[in-house]
Amino acid sequence: MILPFIIIIPLLAAFLITLISGEKDNWAIVLSILAVLSLLILALFSFFTTGDETFIYEMSGWKIPLTICLVQDALSSFMLVIVNLIALTSLMFSISYIRQYSSPWMYYALFMLLITGMNGVIATGDIFNLFVFMEIALFAAYALVAFGSKAEEYEAAFKYAVMGSISSTLILLGVGILYASTSTLTMANIAAELQTVNSQVTYWVAAIFLAGFGLKSAIMPFHAWLPDAHSSAPAPISSMLSGVLIKALGVYAIIRIFYNIFGAPAVFLTLFMVLGSISIIVASYLALGQWDLKRLLAYSSISQIGFILLGLGIGTKLAILGAVFHILNHAIFKSLLFYNAGAVELALGTRDLRKMGNLKGAMPVTTGTSMIATLSVAGLPPFNGFFSKLIIIIAAVQANHIVYAIIAVIGSLLTLAYFIKAQRYGFHGETEITEFRQTISLGMKSAMIILAVLCIVTSLLIIPGIRELTLDPVVTVIMNKTGYIQAVLGR
Amino acid sequence: MAINQLSLLVLVPLIIAVLNLFLPVILRKILAALGLVWLLILNYQLFINPVAEIVIQGVAVLAVDKLALVILTFIQILAVIILVFSLKGVSPKIQKPYYVLYPLTLAFCNGAVLSVQALSLLIFWGLSGIALYLFNLLGDEKTTPETAKKTFIIVGGSDVFLILGLVLIWFLMPHNGGALWNLKIGLSGELAYTAFFSLLIAAFAKGGGFPLHSWVPDYSKDAPVEAVAFLPASLDKLLGIYLFVRIVWSLFALNFGIHLFLMTIGALTIIFAVMMAMIQHNGRKLLGFHAVSQVGYMILGIGSGSIIALIGGLFHLINNTIYKSNLFLALGSVEKKTGTNELEELGGLGGKMPLTFGFALVGALAISGIPPFNGFFSKWMIYQGILDLAKGVAPGYQVWLLVCLILAVFGSALTLASFMKFIHAIFLGRRPAKWDNISRAPLNQWLATGILAALCVIFGLWAIHLPITKLILPVIGEFGFSVPQMLGYYNPILVVLLFGTTLILGLIIYWGVRKVRLDAIYLGGMDALEHFRVLGTEFYKEIRDMKPLKAIYNGAEKKYFDIYDISGRCSFAITRLFRAIHNGQLHLYNLWIVLGMLILLWVVL
Repeated sequence: MILPFIIIIPLLAAFLITLISGEKDNWAIVLSILAVLSLLILALFSFFTTGDETFIYEMSGWKIPLTICLVQDALSSFMLVIVNLIALTSLMFSISYIRQYSSPWMYYALFMLLITGMNGVIATGDIFNLFVFMEIALFAAYALVAFGSKAEEYEAAFKYAVMGSISSTLILLGVGILYASTSTLTMANIAAELQTVNSQVTYWVAAIFLAGFGLKSAIMPFHAWLPDAHSSAPAPISSMLSGVLIKALGVYAIIRIFYNIFGAPAVFLTLFMVLGSISIIVASYLALGQWDLKRLLAYSSISQIGFILLGLGIGTKLAILGAVFHILNHAIFKSLLFYNAGAVELALGTRDLRKMGNLKGAMPVTTGTSMIATLSVAGLPPFNGFFSKLIIIIAAVQANHIVYAIIAVIGSLLTLAYFIKAQRYGFHGETEITEFRQTISLGMKSAMIILAVLCIVTSLLIIPGIRELTLDPVVTVIMNKTGYIQAVLGR
Repeated sequence: MAINQLSLLVLVPLIIAVLNLFLPVILRKILAALGLVWLLILNYQLFINPVAEIVIQGVAVLAVDKLALVILTFIQILAVIILVFSLKGVSPKIQKPYYVLYPLTLAFCNGAVLSVQALSLLIFWGLSGIALYLFNLLGDEKTTPETAKKTFIIVGGSDVFLILGLVLIWFLMPHNGGALWNLKIGLSGELAYTAFFSLLIAAFAKGGGFPLHSWVPDYSKDAPVEAVAFLPASLDKLLGIYLFVRIVWSLFALNFGIHLFLMTIGALTIIFAVMMAMIQHNGRKLLGFHAVSQVGYMILGIGSGSIIALIGGLFHLINNTIYKSNLFLALGSVEKKTGTNELEELGGLGGKMPLTFGFALVGALAISGIPPFNGFFSKWMIYQGILDLAKGVAPGYQVWLLVCLILAVFGSALTLASFMKFIHAIFLGRRPAKWDNISRAPLNQWLATGILAALCVIFGLWAIHLPITKLILPVIGEFGFSVPQMLGYYNPILVVLLFGTTLILGLIIYWGVRKVRLDAIYLGGMDALEHFRVLGTEFYKEIRDMKPLKAIYNGAEKKYFDIYDISGRCSFAITRLFRAIHNGQLHLYNLWIVLGMLILLWVVL
């Protein structure tokens, strides 16, 4: 059984780092990379061996519903691969980047706690346990956002903590109501029991969860914490937050709860579409007006989450495929874009697009990979973002949601506009930049190149033979809705 | 997937591009030249032995019909000619990426034309837009980054409308499985109209049709001149109008109202763009506006619904790519010698660069619609088509069609006026002393412009026998239409003979009775200083300052009529509105959370 190790390894690494690290961060780096590498191998193994099956791990030998269970199915394995893949590249990027700050070893300890929290949220089959792991990840995230120790970073972390606490309170309230109604915390049991509970209660709890997890996913109007937090954090953490945290704590939790526990009620699917559309359009306009590169990327994350939510809201098999594919694609290209922004910030000492210039001669890897990421996020062929957005648009038309298809098209157009603006000022500006504060290390370049290659390679997942082995099992878990009960409980 | 001519037309340039990533510049040139000549031969073989389609997993992805073959042919011809021009003269700074992007672009354009399946069209079409953007970034003007941004937002942005249009078509014709073209979808209902206009946006953005044309003049000025001749003047025009033909003649069954709408757009494109071209002081921008204006003729002809005008429109597409790339390359030769494309700085170069002058003159006369050059014949057919169409409609519509026709004819006259300025400003008049040591363009450059000029003549003199009979009429036949009877009579050989006779008579009179004294130029009894020379840019100053044109020109120069700038201003106004409610205040954000949750509760209960 892989799942316990998915949680134990990063947790152990976090403690070991605090124990054995001195002033230098060498051991912290080695431990973190070994931990995340092993996590990625385990996640990949889990992903390619799980298929359509579901494996349960019951802690301490107790049986459901008395124990906390971990659930390994295609969806959780898929999410684990994304989290640990991005974590590995993020660590590669961090090695030299994070040395500009004091006590870098602390960074690695917090990083491991962040991964522990995310892996825990994904692996658990217990809703209170999900809340606990979520809080572990969030505490680490608050600290990491403030890691730079500047005023704006503390402010961002404070805002994040306040709004994060509100959402956590809402989620805890929802968990409490569910427990009161069903007398269990195991998600599969809750799903089974809810079928006998008054639907009003279910809808109340679902609305509270949507607000709570909507805030974690930064869906509008619960998004306001994200632009500050994601732009103030160190670049590799921004990539973790935008690339995977909002998906693990937000989107994944929404999928699991709304599809597998509540059975995707129609009213919530409509809400997903409405909120997703608002997020796509409003966040795109906000991104368009940004001159801070990382802030632009942060608003873009809200918009892209909107695409995912739109797909989830349309709710057909094709739409879910688009949403799932976009979760993966967004993790890849948004992390890459944050690495690019981090590299430029490290080299030039600014995030202001107006102070940047022509970097293609002096920073070819950063410029080249940023172009690939831009084309991916803007949805241009043959990059991965093209296919996931295309699928979502086709699904919207197929489901007769023409207006939503048009919104997705307008959102794509706006995405192209603000990312080409970022390219024009940030990488292809008039001023030839020749002097740099710091050079870009091999680790940073490698992280960027790996993700740039993935922006192209992951397009292949759409080929039917490959899709059936990779994305389709994930879609099946989601479309199976409360079939999750049978898969976990065996009844 | 079978390897045949169709797949090779995509694979060969793709492989050349990949190999060119690693080769030294000289080998890149050789490989590109050999590869492109081979593609030309492959293309010729398609005429003789049309090959089967390429099928992937049971779905036909690439295929060639008569229309695609015509477009492909001119893509290969122009690619070879422009490559000849590029062999000597491309800035050393950009040579390496240039010889990667060039075959890459060719592969994408070939792929787009050969695509008969929505997904493959989307991919190749999108990739050709990326290539256009990357070529633009090779320019070294100060305004290049801004132009590249504008170009990609318009052209790349139009791709999402192509997606929407094709997805809607697939929705309307679900049993077709994404296969394209001969669908003849009736224009009824919102979905069909949305699909039609979405595809129209994609075609106009690529081809440079009004109001999505504004990237073309800017691109013309700021990209490397070879890239301008290659893409907006040639390949993108071919692609954009190719899609337009498909939309109008095979994808949809249009009603007369839509035909009238398209003709109006065409006429407006002609007149607006040519009016802007007249007042330009930059040679490349002037040509850029003419590139747009000429698209107007194509839209007018192809969009009219008349078979004669369709033939004229297709012929005009071919002609335009020939003389427009000729003109850009001729200007490019001048630019490479002088280092400028500002008309004010040029002048009197005809004597120093006689071949370039001669070829540019042919191009200028062709685009102005002067017989016997090719541009005359295609415009003449479009006019005839409109007249033919007018015979069968109600009097009110006849007036409308007549207005469109008059605008088109007037546009042609203004084109001539504009090119008088262009030719005078560069090649005639008094030459500034700084250009006294200018030498002729290198062999490869005048060879390229010379071939294009020759094609202008050949396609003018033997218009019916060569391009129309051999290339265009088979397309018309494949569309299921019979060849219509021409309204008027025009014999290009007779016209040439008449022109020739007149010219010879003129020369006889000139040489026989001339009695002139050649002297230096004086002004107020003193040698005229250089800055008193007559600049071509002064030609239409009066028109520029004429009421109410002055206000319109001022507005146009401030980009008030540019859809890109209008959209930009509207977008930033919306952005400001949203930013006003994102003031960074935590209590406000908390209020949103509470309100958001209350709304959710209200909705679900």
